[in-house]
Amino acid sequence: MSIAEAVDEVGSPQRPEAPTGGRRWVVGIFALLSIGAVWSVRAISPGLSDVVEAPAEMWKIFRAMFPPAFQTEIDRGVVGKVFESLYIAWIGTIIAATLSFPLSFLAAGNVAPRWIRYPIRQLFNAIRAVPELIVAMVLLAVVGLGPWAGALAIGLHSIGTLGKLSTEAIENADSGPLEAISASGGTWISGMRWGMVPQVLPTVISYWLFRFEINIRASTVLGLIGAGGVGSELSSQLAFRNFPQVGAVLAFTVALVLVIDTISGFVRRQVISGTGRKVDGGHNEALVEDMLGSKLAPKK
Amino acid sequence: MTDVSMAAAARPTKPKPRLTSLLVFVGFVVFTWFAARQVSFEWATFKDIWVSPLWEKFWPIEWEWVARRENVFDPMVETFQIAIISTIVGCTLALPIGFAMSRLTTPNKPVYFFTRTIMSVVRAIPDLFWAKILVTAVGIGAFGGSLALTIFSLAVMVKLFSETVDGADPRPLEAAKAAGGTHVSAVRTGVLPEVFPSFVAYALYVFELNIRASVVLGLVGAGGIGRVVEAQRGFFQFDRILGILVVVFVIVVIIEQISVALRKQLL
Amino acid sequence: MIELDDVSVVYRGGVHALRNVSLTIDDGEFVVVVGLSGAGKSTLLRALNGLVPATSGSIKVDGIEVVGANAATMREVRSRIGMIFQTFNLVNRTTVLNNVLMGRLAKVPSWRSTLGMWPAADREMAFQALERVGIVDKAYVRASNLSGGQQQRVGIARALAQEPAVMLADEPTAALDPVTSHQVMGDLKRINRDLNITTLINLHFLDLARQYGQRLVGLRDGEVVFDGDIADVDDAILRMIYGRAITPDDLLKEA
Repeated sequence: MSIAEAVDEVGSPQRPEAPTGGRRWVVGIFALLSIGAVWSVRAISPGLSDVVEAPAEMWKIFRAMFPPAFQTEIDRGVVGKVFESLYIAWIGTIIAATLSFPLSFLAAGNVAPRWIRYPIRQLFNAIRAVPELIVAMVLLAVVGLGPWAGALAIGLHSIGTLGKLSTEAIENADSGPLEAISASGGTWISGMRWGMVPQVLPTVISYWLFRFEINIRASTVLGLIGAGGVGSELSSQLAFRNFPQVGAVLAFTVALVLVIDTISGFVRRQVISGTGRKVDGGHNEALVEDMLGSKLAPKK
Repeated sequence: MTDVSMAAAARPTKPKPRLTSLLVFVGFVVFTWFAARQVSFEWATFKDIWVSPLWEKFWPIEWEWVARRENVFDPMVETFQIAIISTIVGCTLALPIGFAMSRLTTPNKPVYFFTRTIMSVVRAIPDLFWAKILVTAVGIGAFGGSLALTIFSLAVMVKLFSETVDGADPRPLEAAKAAGGTHVSAVRTGVLPEVFPSFVAYALYVFELNIRASVVLGLVGAGGIGRVVEAQRGFFQFDRILGILVVVFVIVVIIEQISVALRKQLL
Repeated sequence: MIELDDVSVVYRGGVHALRNVSLTIDDGEFVVVVGLSGAGKSTLLRALNGLVPATSGSIKVDGIEVVGANAATMREVRSRIGMIFQTFNLVNRTTVLNNVLMGRLAKVPSWRSTLGMWPAADREMAFQALERVGIVDKAYVRASNLSGGQQQRVGIARALAQEPAVMLADEPTAALDPVTSHQVMGDLKRINRDLNITTLINLHFLDLARQYGQRLVGLRDGEVVFDGDIADVDDAILRMIYGRAITPDDLLKEA
């Protein structure tokens, strides 16, 4: 028979069986989530009537905030408080940057020996694990009420995250210049100063700025426990249910955050693009790594 | 034979630092000094912390207290429940909103700008402010806490997710549109499969964040373990708080490990 | 039937991609479009299914006006036109079958495709499309695990699953090696002949155009400078289309 007939006899490839595994996973996860959700809801819900009324209550409060009582709040000195939050975040970030940068060299794999590296890294992790607010609570007992407690709390807490990110930046840097310096007889310190710092500084500065944006929010919140800034004003106005004033405080807070975000974002882009590195890729990865930890960051 | 004479190249003068850089640097220093004064910066504090008698309050940790069910275990269960609900509701809402917020998958310009503006404002309000307002609205307890964390989860997930979608491959979406699909089904079939693993990773991260946030949410009366922390703070029982922090830390590490394992499966 | 009447496309920034193009293509024709890069081939194809909106003129597919059509009409027109892309445009993470099912998007209710609950009849059509291009055994394989040629065949299957009246192929062989290119061209020719689907193919390589083409349309700077039988094309005409002599880069070479 001819080739064509032979092929015809065999027929075209058979249809494969549908793999069953996938479907089962999806159903299983869905069931798990549903059960978890129902169990949680039943435990938390105060009762059907409250759940139903909640949106209405929220709407009432939201409406009560308009028009916001800007003038009242300005008279009460809210603008000064807003700036106080700014100063707290600024000083806090600087403290964190100053302390974390040298430490991160000691924690970097390509720079420091293991017996220093490990404890410092664990130190960073431990600091990260303690929420800012708790640090602030403790510091209040040491330095008393006021913005200094807030600035210190932010400063000390940020060392954890900034330390981790700076360490990664150092480990990702090119070790070539370091080699060159040690080959020409330079000390470890000059190796760092001239071989490493110029490379990582732009990335690290962008991390500092990103942290500053986060710290602005943190500093407003610290006011809630008396560590300075706008939070105390929000707290007292809420306690008296003066919603127009609350609205005004919120508006000022949002304005502060948005303005700082914009300026900081702009400067960050300038710093990064000054080295010719890709702009958006760097930001997103820094963001993701900050939050997920590099081992969890999704591959792009 | 031609005489090859090389003129010595003139040595360049060192470029002067630009005026703007100098101004920026000076401005930076002045601002920092001013800010330090405003916050009552004090060098002495660093020493004070080091030698503070407060450290004694942290140690030893009263483990028997931690181990007793009603002190830590039960509130942690409540924290878990708050975190589960907030993560599920917040992330589910974040899926369509995140798509609407991304240049690639937004249905039209008005929706794009509207959602982006609203979410910017929502994100600009600190989570604890949200919590305080919501607790004022619906009362103290886990319910207010769940509402606050739901909004928080939504804000975080929407930001992460929309940025991932922005970076997704636009070509399968083009093919889906070319085949005549509606916008929603085109996004569902052409974009979602690519970005879904990232979505799951972020969801697990948000869950972990919610557990951690619960510790401080108690400050505003929002239930969960935070309630206990707040109570102990009043008594200056820092050792108990430390114990709670250790427990939370361990739990968070466990969740992280599960998250890594699950994501390996997905990818 | 496809009718273009005085169609112009001007991109933002003032680039005239198409100038006053008028063409009529009858049902079942096999048309090859050639021209330099940037001559407007891609724009021409994408104007037909509205992926690129025409600035002026009229485009009628099966009597339906595409220019200025509303969303619903556009989807109706697109469902009748199957498109094959140079870069395949498959969803890499999912299976071949799910990719082909995307061809049924216009025919299946939106909620069904969103939930992934495709009706049995549509799944059957997807399988048949895969059988026609000869890779049904790969139905449950992840799309990114296939070779370039296989991925393009999935793209063809996806277009076939639409049961289209028209097939548009935008440089379908540009990312493929010579052997696979011939296979794909052969498949397209066979589909046109067996299923009587009007086919419009953008080609970069002239020898492929010569070997498989029937009717040739030459574009230069957005204008139609030649429209006729492939047999009538000689070097002089090619030079007119390309505005220069033919170089080896314009040929695929290997048979």
